[in-house]
Amino acid sequence: MKKKLMAMILGLVVIFALTACGGGDSGTSGDSGSKELNIFMWSDYISDETIADFEKETGIKVNLSYMNDNADSVNKLTAGAGDEYDLIMTCDAYMESLINGGYLEELDLSQIPNSENINKAYWTEQNQKFCVPYLMNYIYVVYDKERCPIEITCYNDLIKPEMKGQLGSIDGARNLFPIALIALGYDPNSKEESEIAEAYEWLKKYNANVVAYGSTETNIVNGTISAMLTYDGNTAEAMAAMGDNNTLTVAPFKKDPVQLGFDLYVIPKGAKHMDAAYAFLNYITDAEVMAKNLVENPYSCPNDAAVAAASEEYRNDPAFDFDYKENIFFQEDVGDAIKIYDKYYQKLKVDTGE
Amino acid sequence: MTASKGRAKGTNRLPLLAQAGPVSLWMILFVTIPMLFIIFISFMTRGTFGGVEYTPSLESYQTMMEVTYFHIIVKSLGVAAETTIACLIVGYPFAYYIARKPPATASRLITLLMIPFWTNSLMRLNAWMLIFQTNGPVNNFMLNTHMIDKPITFIFTDGLVLLGLITNYLPFAVLPMYSSIEKLEKPILEASADLGATPGVTLLKVTLPLTFPGIFSAIILTFIPALGTYVITDMLGGGKVLYIGNIIKNQFGTIRNWPLGAALSVLLLVITALMIFIYSRFAKVEDMEVV
Repeated sequence: MKKKLMAMILGLVVIFALTACGGGDSGTSGDSGSKELNIFMWSDYISDETIADFEKETGIKVNLSYMNDNADSVNKLTAGAGDEYDLIMTCDAYMESLINGGYLEELDLSQIPNSENINKAYWTEQNQKFCVPYLMNYIYVVYDKERCPIEITCYNDLIKPEMKGQLGSIDGARNLFPIALIALGYDPNSKEESEIAEAYEWLKKYNANVVAYGSTETNIVNGTISAMLTYDGNTAEAMAAMGDNNTLTVAPFKKDPVQLGFDLYVIPKGAKHMDAAYAFLNYITDAEVMAKNLVENPYSCPNDAAVAAASEEYRNDPAFDFDYKENIFFQEDVGDAIKIYDKYYQKLKVDTGE
Repeated sequence: MTASKGRAKGTNRLPLLAQAGPVSLWMILFVTIPMLFIIFISFMTRGTFGGVEYTPSLESYQTMMEVTYFHIIVKSLGVAAETTIACLIVGYPFAYYIARKPPATASRLITLLMIPFWTNSLMRLNAWMLIFQTNGPVNNFMLNTHMIDKPITFIFTDGLVLLGLITNYLPFAVLPMYSSIEKLEKPILEASADLGATPGVTLLKVTLPLTFPGIFSAIILTFIPALGTYVITDMLGGGKVLYIGNIIKNQFGTIRNWPLGAALSVLLLVITALMIFIYSRFAKVEDMEVV
C-alpha cells in the first residue's frame, strides 16, 4: 500500500514537472516589438560603452551573441538566421557565396548616411549593396629585434631552420595557406589542388618552426616566441604591454603582399528588426562613435573620418607603422575549393605528431 | 475476462513505470537519441561551410583508416594510459591513507582534495602556464641558481600536457578507490596478518583484489575523459600537440567536417564500450564504485 502511494506521488511529480516545463516555454516567446536588436559577432570586438550609448540614445535593447569561428556565422546565415538575428558579422571572404545564395537583405544606403565615411577602396560596389565594413585587420609578421635570430623580410624567412622554436602563429586554413602560396609564387586564393598540395609541403616546414598557434600576443610578451604571424590589433596589444621597453617591430617586407581582411555587418534575409539594424549601422559608422570605439579596439579601420577623429595614440600606434599598407591581397571566396583547403589543413594538423 | 486481466496487469505495472519511467525517458532523451544522431551523421556527407548534407557516404570511415589517424589514436591512447597509470600510482596510496583515518579527518581530507575543483579548470590550466612560461617562476628560479643558462620551453610540450591531465583527473581516481578501500573490513586484514602474511603479501593478495572494483572505476573515470579531452591539450599544447579530442573538436570548428568528427566520436564510444565489456568479464558491472 505504501509502495503504491509512493508510486502515485512519483507519477504526479513527473507529470507536474513536465507540464511546468511546457508552461514555462510558451511564456517566453512574446513579441516585444522593434525596440530590440539581436547581433551575432565576435566577442571582445566592440566596446561596452558603444553599445550602452546606442541603447541610451535610441531606446533599443541590444542582445549580443558571440561567434567562435567565421564558420559559425556562415552556418547561421545559410540556415536562415532572420528569425534569430538582425545583424550578423562575417568577413569579406564569404560575401560572394552569401550574396549568390540569397541569404542577405539588400541594403538601402540612404538609411545609413554615415556610410559616406567609409573609404570606397575597401568597399566594392557589389559589397555596398549588402554589407557595411566594421573594422579590418592586416595579417603580417612581427618580430622581436633583440631576440629573433634573423631579420625577417619575406615569408620564406619563416621556414628557415634558424627559426625553429621561435615562431608563433594565428591558425586557420585561409590564414596559413595564402602565405605559403605567395612564398611559392602562386595566387594566394588558388583553387588548384596541385598548388595547394605544394603549399601544404611548405607549411609542414612552417609548422615545424611554430611553438604554438593562437595567443600570439601573450607568447611574444612572455618570451616564449620571438616572431609571429598575427593580426595588427594583437600586435598593438603586445606592444602596449611591453610599454617603454618595446622591442617588437613589424617585419620590413619588401615584396610579399600581406593579407587584409574585413569584418563586416550584414542583415540576414527576413530579419525582424530592420529599422533597429539600420539605426545601429548608421550609429556605428558615425566618426565620433567609431573613434571612441577604437580606443578599446585598436584595429585598423576603413572609416576614414573616424581615423581622423581618433586619438593621437591610435594614429601613432607602432603596430600600424609599416610602409607596405597598399601591398595587400584579400581572402577571396574560393567556393567549393574550400574543401581542398580543409583537407590539406586537416592533414597538416594531424601530421604534427610525427 | 481478457479485458479485466489486462487491467489488472496494467495496475501492477504502474509502480514500476512510475519508478523506471522517468529515468528511462531521461536516458532516451538525453543519451540514446543524441548518440543515435551522432552515428547517423557519421554516415553522411560534409556540407561546404560545415553542417551536414544528407547524402549517405562511408567517406568519414575511409578517412579514419588513413595511417595518420591511426598514429593519433595510438598516441592518444598512450597518453590516456600514462595519465591513468600515474593517477593510480599517486591516487591509491593517497586513497588508502585517507580511508584509514577516522571518519571526521577523512571527510576533511576529501574536502581538501575537492577544493581546487571549485575553481574553474581554465584558471587552473592558466596557472600552470604562468608557472612554467619562459619568464615564469620556474625558469627564473633555475636561471638565478645557475642550474640552466637559457630558459627552457616547458609550455606547449607533451610533458606539460601530461602534468595538466594528471592533476586534472587525480580526484576522479582517488574518490572511487577511497570508497572501495573504506569498505574493506579491518578484521580481514588482521586475519591475513595472523595467518602469517607479510604486509606486502596482504596488499597484493587481499587488499588489491578486494578493492578491484574501485580501481577499475578509477581507471574508467580517468582513462575515458583523458582520452576525449581537448581543453587541456589545446591550452597546454598550444594547438600543436594534438590528440583525438582536438581532432574531433576541430572537425566541428575550423575544419568543418562534421561527419568525420561524428565518426571519430563513434570510435571513442566503441573504445569505451569495449572497456566496460572487459570489466564485465572480470566482475559485476553493478559492483563498480562510482561515487
